[in-house]
Amino acid sequence: MTHDDALAIAARTRANVVNPLRGRSRPDAFDYSRRWSLRTVFALGCVFLYAPIVVLIVFSFNDSRRGGNVIWKGFTTKYYAKAFANEELMLAFANSLTIALVSTVFAVLLGTLTAVLLWRFRFPFKPLVEGLVTLPIVIPEICLGVALAIFFTRMGWMDTGGLAWPLNLSNITIAHITFSFPFAALVIRTRLQSFNVETEEAARDLGASEWRVFFDILLPHMRPGLVAAALLSFTLSLDDFVITFFTSGPNTVTFPVKIYSMVRFSVTPEINAASTVLIAITLVLTWAALRYQRTWKE
Amino acid sequence: MQRIRRPLSLLRTDRRRFMQAGLAVGVSLKLPAAAFAQDGQVNFYNWDTYIGEDTLDNFASETGIEVQYDLFADNNELFAKLRSGNPGYDVIVPSNDYVERMIVADMLLEIDHDKIPNIVNIDPAFVDPAFDPGRRYSLPYMWGTIGIGYRKSAVDQAPTSWNDVFTSDKYAGRIALLSEPTNVLQLAMKAAGKSLNDWSDENLAAAEQMLLAQKKNITAFAPDNGQDLLLAGEVDLAMEWNGDILQVMEEDDDIGFVLPEEGGLLWEDCLCIPTGAQNIDNAHALINYLLDAEAGADIAEFIYYATPNAAARELMDEDYTGNPAIFPPPSALQKSELAIFPGQEMLRKIDEAWTRVKAG
Amino acid sequence: MAEGRQAAARRPLVFAAFALPTLGWLLAFFLVPLGIIWLYSVGENVSLTRVETTWTLSNYARILEPEILELALRSLRIAALATLVCLVIGFPMALVIATASPAAKPWLLLAIMLPFWTNLLIRTYALLNILGTRGRLNEALGWLHARLQGTLELLGLDHPGLMSEPFRPFTFLGTETGVVFGIVYVSLPFAILPLYSALERMDKSLLEASLDLGAGQLTTFRRVLLPLAMPGVVTAAIITFIPALGQFLTPDLLGRGQVDMIANVIERQFKGANDWPYGSAISMILLYATFILLALRAFADARRSAARDAR
Repeated sequence: MTHDDALAIAARTRANVVNPLRGRSRPDAFDYSRRWSLRTVFALGCVFLYAPIVVLIVFSFNDSRRGGNVIWKGFTTKYYAKAFANEELMLAFANSLTIALVSTVFAVLLGTLTAVLLWRFRFPFKPLVEGLVTLPIVIPEICLGVALAIFFTRMGWMDTGGLAWPLNLSNITIAHITFSFPFAALVIRTRLQSFNVETEEAARDLGASEWRVFFDILLPHMRPGLVAAALLSFTLSLDDFVITFFTSGPNTVTFPVKIYSMVRFSVTPEINAASTVLIAITLVLTWAALRYQRTWKE
Repeated sequence: MQRIRRPLSLLRTDRRRFMQAGLAVGVSLKLPAAAFAQDGQVNFYNWDTYIGEDTLDNFASETGIEVQYDLFADNNELFAKLRSGNPGYDVIVPSNDYVERMIVADMLLEIDHDKIPNIVNIDPAFVDPAFDPGRRYSLPYMWGTIGIGYRKSAVDQAPTSWNDVFTSDKYAGRIALLSEPTNVLQLAMKAAGKSLNDWSDENLAAAEQMLLAQKKNITAFAPDNGQDLLLAGEVDLAMEWNGDILQVMEEDDDIGFVLPEEGGLLWEDCLCIPTGAQNIDNAHALINYLLDAEAGADIAEFIYYATPNAAARELMDEDYTGNPAIFPPPSALQKSELAIFPGQEMLRKIDEAWTRVKAG
Repeated sequence: MAEGRQAAARRPLVFAAFALPTLGWLLAFFLVPLGIIWLYSVGENVSLTRVETTWTLSNYARILEPEILELALRSLRIAALATLVCLVIGFPMALVIATASPAAKPWLLLAIMLPFWTNLLIRTYALLNILGTRGRLNEALGWLHARLQGTLELLGLDHPGLMSEPFRPFTFLGTETGVVFGIVYVSLPFAILPLYSALERMDKSLLEASLDLGAGQLTTFRRVLLPLAMPGVVTAAIITFIPALGQFLTPDLLGRGQVDMIANVIERQFKGANDWPYGSAISMILLYATFILLALRAFADARRSAARDAR
């Protein structure tokens, strides 16, 4: 019996079952998102995730200096003005976004290659390679940061301050790609493992070439994995401090590094304001990307 | 000439200054193409909020040298980063024991005093310290203390001894210490009546035992936020840097700062030129400018730390020079000490003792 | 499923196209720097800035000290607990996203990712604000407690002993609970994303068939959905657990320095203690352990699929 036969039987069985005890239709078997129990869990999870963010945003309007996040002293928007006027902060944010975007693209690319490599091929020493590819996930950040700093110094690549933007960010970007592509590879490979080979074989039987198989069958199946991998890599890169600190030179300040250095002296509401602005900008960019994607599809 | 008293404010939004700052940042935030011109530039690596508002712009307009200003947050991070190799900084600002460490490690260039005419402005007390005799590798920038911040209404009298924090259980559950192993152990030694630089195996072991015994009374080993805990009311006593406590004293009148009778820890941040610096002449020019009387007064007024620049201090007003949290009374100062670099061997022992304290 | 179908030797060019960029990058930008760390781990400080490789095992020996072992155990325990909590919370959330309408999906994904695009340090300070003894959470709980007491009084049910005492604030910070909480908070998207990736477009017919054949919801979940999603669960566990072991900021701030983990020790070696050989050695132990575990697992997988193919 083929897979399609099984589907057909299942569909017929469902249609034929009459359950006198239930007057209304039960929710679809997989329609978990409509189940209230799960919706509640999701909502609670979001409360958990957003509670500190709400506090952060509320305190960005706090009229207090040092006690920025501790005691409320009155409402003001002046720290937003300060944040916008702080050119270094804006530059740091631009740098961070750039590095994150470039690093995500390459990480997902390399991650896909790695995932397909490990999923599809048999080759000698495969377990060794599998282990090696996962090592960047394990290594403590400070260890990798120091190692890359030494490596870049020995190669003479450390002094990038003289290069034009964005090339001066190349060290940091390389470092970010290095520690995020294994995460991407792992996630994409997991997705590949649920791929139904028979679909591919059917396509090949129908005469599709290798490339057609890849683009029209494998890639669409991989898409959720690619999306997940991209989101993961972006997050890892955007908020990285330790490795960025060690691989950065003069004039290559990123947002986390700037924030960390500011926080040592004062967790002022300016930092909260800057973070809120960053959230807002990211939201707008994503919304724009989604809108663009939809119009592109149509 | 007495300076006109300006209200204490770490973050000014005075419109004129805002515009000036905006313009000035535009100048120092040069586009990368101009970065190719290596003459006329200096890379300055400093702590955050540790310079006057207009200092660097004024420097740029006076000398024509542009300043690339970057920030770091921790002496240890500075050392670890430079140890791998200098990525291009010309002037750095380590603290005194790290200056000593870097001198031992050959990480600093000698400063040519001939190029620093403003050196005469320095207070005689800072001219020949033990960590850098003759000031060959460093020049003083700011100094301060580590003492005890406390909530006045929660204590019957201001803490008089380090033992209030290290051995007594009067304030059990209401105490915060710093999280830097060397500092905490140094001051534990002070509580035991020793010098904070007397790194012998016995003293270290005694300090370790003291901490292990006191651990149940300690609320937090706070990395940077001891003063936040004090302000929030989570603790009543916090071992902290004087500048941090000064900032929360502004927010809350109920907070005070005191140097205990055994004395506190004196720290001094210094201007140095690391090996591998590309713009050595410009570095000297910058250091000289920062030691200028007017510039120094500007900086001191903005960041409100104690300045070792006697000429700058002349220009400051009573509120600043008479503030005991900034300039401690001689009685307290006398017993306060500058930290020395304990040496690599002792650093390892300190770390092992600290790991035992934290794991226990 | 159907892993390793193709022997590399059969299609060498295709294999090279996939292998060279990956392995090349790994070699150049990871293995070489790692080699430096490895050499340090068997070396000694000869000066404040130079390490000489003397092929000594003294750094590894130091790891066997009781306090290090205790910290290692504590780290494993906290990381494992945090991973478990992440999986338990993350699975339903991933399920909701995977089964949501196509229009809602990107927004739901964005909703869970957005908090993690805020700076970690600021988020942690906000968490401190919430979880302190005088923080927002205790305030809220205290308020609830007072309301509850008031209601009980109104209903005349206020016996002594039953909620008659004043509210005592909970201490979250400075405890292992607080640290686990913090790590869960930091790691949740790492758990949700792989789970979502595995659950997305799952074959519904299998679930429907199970339900039609009489299995209840719970049984269907346990015996059909979970096994199908297992690769995702394993990946989620791996990429949550391992970074959790490397956390040092959360123990410092949320643990108030009272709940040190192994990463705190490693960090100190590279910073204050200036003992890079020792720090490298501890890091290498983590790497050896994980490498061996993963290689063994890969080996077992390869054996299993070879056996299956042979049948």
